[in-house]
Amino acid sequence: MKKWNAIIGILTGIAILAGSFTGCGTPESNAQNIKNSQATESVAEETKSTEDTKSTVETAEKTAMSTATMEKLAKSSYEGELTIMHDSTTEEAQAYGAAEGLRTAIKNWEQSNPKITLNQTVLANDDYKTQIATQAAAGDLPDIFLLQGMNTKTWAQQGLILDLTSYVQESPFYQAYNKAYFTPFTYSGKIYGLPALTGTTCTVLVYDKAAWKKAGFEQFPSTWEEVKKADEYFKQNGYKETIAFGNKDQWQANSCFLSTIGDRFTGAEWFQSLIDGSGAKFSDKEFVDALTFTQDIFKSGIFNDDFNSITNEEAREYYISGSVPAFIGGDWDINYLQSVLKETNKELYENTGFAVLPQPNGASKSENSLNIGLGYSLAINSKLKENPDKLAAALNFIHYATGPDYANYVGTNYALQGLTKVEDIDLSKFDSYVKQYYKYTYVDTKPCEIYDSYISSAVWDVLNKNMQSMLNGDATPQDVAQKTQKTYEDDYLNSQRKG
Amino acid sequence: MGSRKPKAAIIVAYLFVPMALYVFSVFIPLLTSVFYSFFEWKGGPNKTFVGLENYIMLLYDKEFWQAFQHNIYLVVLCVIGQVGIAFVLVMVMNSKGTKFKDMHRTFGFFPSTISHVAIGFIWTMIYDSRRGLLNWCLTAVGLGDKTQVWLNNPKLVMTLVAIPLIWQYIGYYMLILLSATSSIDNQILESAELDGVNGFQKAVYIVMPMIKNTILICLVLCVAGNMKVFDNIFVMTKGGPGNASMVTALYGYIVSFKQQNMGYGSAISVGIFVLGILLVGSIQLLVKLFSKEGIGNEEKCC
Amino acid sequence: MKKSAVNHIISLILNTCMILFSLTCIYPIIWILSSSLKVKREFNADIISLPENPTLINFQKIITNPDYHILASLGNSFLTTSISVFFIALFGFIVGYLLARVRFRGNKMIGILLLMGMLIPIHSLLVPIYVVFNRTGLSNHWYTLIFPYIAFGLPIAVFLVQGYVKEISIELEEAAAIDGCGFSRTMFQIIMPICRPVMIAIAIIEAFNCWNEFPFALVLLKDARLHTVPLAMTQFTGQFSSDYPQIMAAMLITMAPIVILYFAFNKLIIKGMVAGAVKG
Repeated sequence: MKKWNAIIGILTGIAILAGSFTGCGTPESNAQNIKNSQATESVAEETKSTEDTKSTVETAEKTAMSTATMEKLAKSSYEGELTIMHDSTTEEAQAYGAAEGLRTAIKNWEQSNPKITLNQTVLANDDYKTQIATQAAAGDLPDIFLLQGMNTKTWAQQGLILDLTSYVQESPFYQAYNKAYFTPFTYSGKIYGLPALTGTTCTVLVYDKAAWKKAGFEQFPSTWEEVKKADEYFKQNGYKETIAFGNKDQWQANSCFLSTIGDRFTGAEWFQSLIDGSGAKFSDKEFVDALTFTQDIFKSGIFNDDFNSITNEEAREYYISGSVPAFIGGDWDINYLQSVLKETNKELYENTGFAVLPQPNGASKSENSLNIGLGYSLAINSKLKENPDKLAAALNFIHYATGPDYANYVGTNYALQGLTKVEDIDLSKFDSYVKQYYKYTYVDTKPCEIYDSYISSAVWDVLNKNMQSMLNGDATPQDVAQKTQKTYEDDYLNSQRKG
Repeated sequence: MGSRKPKAAIIVAYLFVPMALYVFSVFIPLLTSVFYSFFEWKGGPNKTFVGLENYIMLLYDKEFWQAFQHNIYLVVLCVIGQVGIAFVLVMVMNSKGTKFKDMHRTFGFFPSTISHVAIGFIWTMIYDSRRGLLNWCLTAVGLGDKTQVWLNNPKLVMTLVAIPLIWQYIGYYMLILLSATSSIDNQILESAELDGVNGFQKAVYIVMPMIKNTILICLVLCVAGNMKVFDNIFVMTKGGPGNASMVTALYGYIVSFKQQNMGYGSAISVGIFVLGILLVGSIQLLVKLFSKEGIGNEEKCC
Repeated sequence: MKKSAVNHIISLILNTCMILFSLTCIYPIIWILSSSLKVKREFNADIISLPENPTLINFQKIITNPDYHILASLGNSFLTTSISVFFIALFGFIVGYLLARVRFRGNKMIGILLLMGMLIPIHSLLVPIYVVFNRTGLSNHWYTLIFPYIAFGLPIAVFLVQGYVKEISIELEEAAAIDGCGFSRTMFQIIMPICRPVMIAIAIIEAFNCWNEFPFALVLLKDARLHTVPLAMTQFTGQFSSDYPQIMAAMLITMAPIVILYFAFNKLIIKGMVAGAVKG
């Protein structure tokens, strides 16, 4: 084993040295990046002795998560097993601070509750969704699990998830909760989950400030007409397109684009009315206008021609490689862009800025809106009602994992906000990239809803699929709107009446 | 049939364990699935009995039938591509002039050893419009204007997803057909060659009738495999763009798991299943009609 | 003379085609291997070329990951696969032989039943099989996966054996019967050796099927210590990760053990497959 380690160490050492001669990275940033990633600790050890110590200091230790607030929570005398299922894999945690925070919270809680065995099932997101749907169908959910907003209604109607309303209200942190985050997990006035992880926007327009400055824009343009003008400039100057986008998985056009653009056309009341089933329709003119605009802008050529067949992650690589001056993605891209750009392209890293989507022509509602929310919440299996001790333990856990300790941890380490508000996040230790992003998500913009946190998965599946054809020009916006409306009536309104 | 028929008890004893296992792991879940298909069921303890409503919906579900057409297209391409090419290759490999037979046998099967997910992934990279091998080759041979975003072309996408499937399974059917031809007496083939029979005649009039059962099984396997094809397409296109590469199994999965409409999803599965049986049944019928002539030939030659 | 020249050219063309085919079959593994030796940045810049600075970091990341029990998952996969393949071949032979040679009530019925099993899309059985296995307490054990693997491998095995046996001349068994050989002895001692090629084919096909199987493993196993290799590998796919070289390293680790076995026993397999008994 020792020998093996040494060989790997030598090889990586060679690779790092060699990497420094390829011109796209300095040895220092290389080592730094490796130290940043958790799973390569042994490599870090190997290189520590040979690299200068400066980079070690730079990547200061993470502030540990405190367990102070556990005192405030109701304890239980439960001893035994508690099952939990989530999707924060190690891979996910490396690219995503909120997931790393959840893993840390779980570790801490386990240590403070030695008499309880926390049986974890950790699956990558896609597999997680399949598995949790299977277990829900079989009526055999784990004690604690991550609940997606769009499943709340169905599973609550089925009696699968525990009504947490009173526990939430009695929570010692109730005052500090950002109550807006509860809405996706609320059904007919009852709360079914404690919003977990962090408040994330699904619409982030990332752009290269330097490139846009050369094109004559001090800031990212506020109208799409200007973007098109910039597109002409960019295409004459060696760029293949202006904005990179990836919609292979079909949900990105909805979450990263339409959900925010739609709000500009329809306003918040329209969507609320859809959720409540009180009259708004997908076939309403405002929404069809939003679809029409989306179709037109994707046809205009400012996006990459393969947007429908590459993933969000591949589009992100277009931006990283410097071949496009802007990219539309989501919150999940931010940490990744940060670590990669820092390593490979410092200049681009320092020039990267964030902008809200420009206002479409003909859109009359809020100009500055940005969809934001918590897509997942920690929910409890309703069967735990029969075992008050176990329930108390589960409640203790979900309150801890969404409480001030977690919020402070992701706040100080990643400048992210969770369910529990942290008023005084110290931004001074972060660089301008993180500061800008913090302001962009939580301060400078007006929140609007993420469509697919609500209503039902069937509705969004139909919309997403048909919208992909529409963006190719193979379907009309009216068509898409009508099909979506039909599913909405059949699947959502119908079951609402029954429920 | 065997000259000495074993006692019923022996037959039962031999069949009991495998069939019990099979019924338990395949048939009971299948029946459960059929049971679910009569309910409106969003997943969870509450089900509403709706009788045949799901099936009536299925009959009028344009998306399902469109997906089924895609399956049929795949079946046709793959019967020709997988079994057909495999048979030709086996004939080539069994001919005297072919070198490196062992290598071909080993390498040819290789794609079948890789999981569908990995295959889908590899081919996505090949088709990638900016960095992929296909466009790179086209540009290299001066056909740069033919490059395109391959998997975003609704007209081509079904053919494009069929190619990896064919490529992956040639070796699989080669293996099966090779094992079948391996037991053909070489003397028959050699004496045929002496009689001046060419390769094509040898394949059609001698080898085919002798392994017709195995060929029939290959056809059935091929139809069954393509009726339930899922992973490759899921990885490569997710059924897109829009519904252009949607196949029935993927549609059933999306309805059951993404839309969480387990009742209707079960009805779709039963639909796939019934359509599959009809297809296989008609193929068996066709082969039977066809092979009656074949048997006649066989008798003449022997 | 002329004819032999034509033959020569034909043979050359055929040989070239075969070699090209073999090369395309082996190319992916070379590509995966070369890509897994790149770092993300290098891969994203150029996915085709060979790595400039080969590195094992992707493999190291996977092997040293504390959440990934590499030995346990390999052990689980080996155990599940070998037991399943053994029984698929054995049961497949028995049932296939009976269906081919013995006319009994239910013969057709069993054939149809098995055919049905081949036509069910796996994903539509996930929920029912989860329910059935949970009710019976069979889920989440080391032996759990063996049941569905045998059951789903059985139809192909049975049909292949059935087809093969039908092509064997009946005279052999008749002779055995005259010699006073009982039914079971005829089946195992006379027919089974003849069926070796097809049984090897079955074993190979099913070994890879079982090894790569994912959906059943996903729903039937909860305990991380019971995970098979493909399931354990999901730890390396984050929702928004695009670390393709690492994904490929994971793929390589997944398929390496069984592919190595396949190549190691290749000579033996080919010998077994070619050396079929004579049949009429």
